[in-house]
Amino acid sequence: MPARSILGLCGLTVLGLTGPVLAQAPSTGADLKATIALNGFPCDQVVDSKRNADSDYTATCKDGNRYRVYVDATGRVVVKKL
Amino acid sequence: MQRPHVGAIAIIILLAACAHDSRGSRVVTGEPPVIPRAPAAIEPGPAAESDVAPQPAASAPVTGPEGPAANVSAPAAGPTAPVASSTSSPSRPETPKSRASNQATVPKSAPVSPVPATAATAAAAALPPSKAATPPPLDLKGLEQRLRDTRAIGLFTKLSLKNQVDDLLAQFKAFHQGQSGVTLGQLRQKYELLLMKVVTLLQDGDPALASAVSSSREAIWTVLTDPQKFAAIGYST
Repeated sequence: MPARSILGLCGLTVLGLTGPVLAQAPSTGADLKATIALNGFPCDQVVDSKRNADSDYTATCKDGNRYRVYVDATGRVVVKKL
Repeated sequence: MQRPHVGAIAIIILLAACAHDSRGSRVVTGEPPVIPRAPAAIEPGPAAESDVAPQPAASAPVTGPEGPAANVSAPAAGPTAPVASSTSSPSRPETPKSRASNQATVPKSAPVSPVPATAATAAAAALPPSKAATPPPLDLKGLEQRLRDTRAIGLFTKLSLKNQVDDLLAQFKAFHQGQSGVTLGQLRQKYELLLMKVVTLLQDGDPALASAVSSSREAIWTVLTDPQKFAAIGYST
């Protein structure tokens, strides 16, 4: 019992320590949502995203709008409404 | 022996009570005043101002309402108040502002007339810290590196922000070269908007960096608007 409880405690500690660290990194959906908003398009929440290629995504927002978000050859982030 | 002694004690107690009572009634204006005078000193102040000079009196009501509303302008006028107060009566028109600051610092010394020197020094000592706090040291490279390293923003978002920063810098460059039809006011609006975006994106995931960016707002603006400083940051399109 003590061994189990110690193991459980250690597991919880590890989860507790890694949780905030993992939480700091924004998800792809959040990143796409912020990018879409930064480029002047409305997007309350990204409900689906599909990776087309490196730095090329298709995002579907909660309102149904779909956007292609990618980095062009000049290094600019482009958001195109589909 | 005991009776006269007891009688003397009773008389002494009575005298002490009377003396205490009379001292209290007189000292109400002198010592305890610290508590009752504080409110009393605030009210007579404006009246005295209006009595002293008609112009200050006219300005006093104006500055009065402005004081709480425009807190930003208060510190600017604040420094002048102590300087003027140390000299002479001209401090009167600005006393409401200084009074606001004095309420916490020099309420006790205010009633006493010979204190202006200490009040001025106290106000001067209180103001410089605020001035010193307003211009934080600007570390553009450090901020840039922190923005690159922060995990509060995703890669796409960072790249988008970088694009917008580059666009704004290009506009500033054109402005300094006289090739832009954009006014400084328009650039200020764009700058504020972009900074707002950055702070908004950072404030949840990296509040320290958001605060650092926000507090560097004016310093960065100074760099952007000064052609020499702008050239020194080595921006190239």
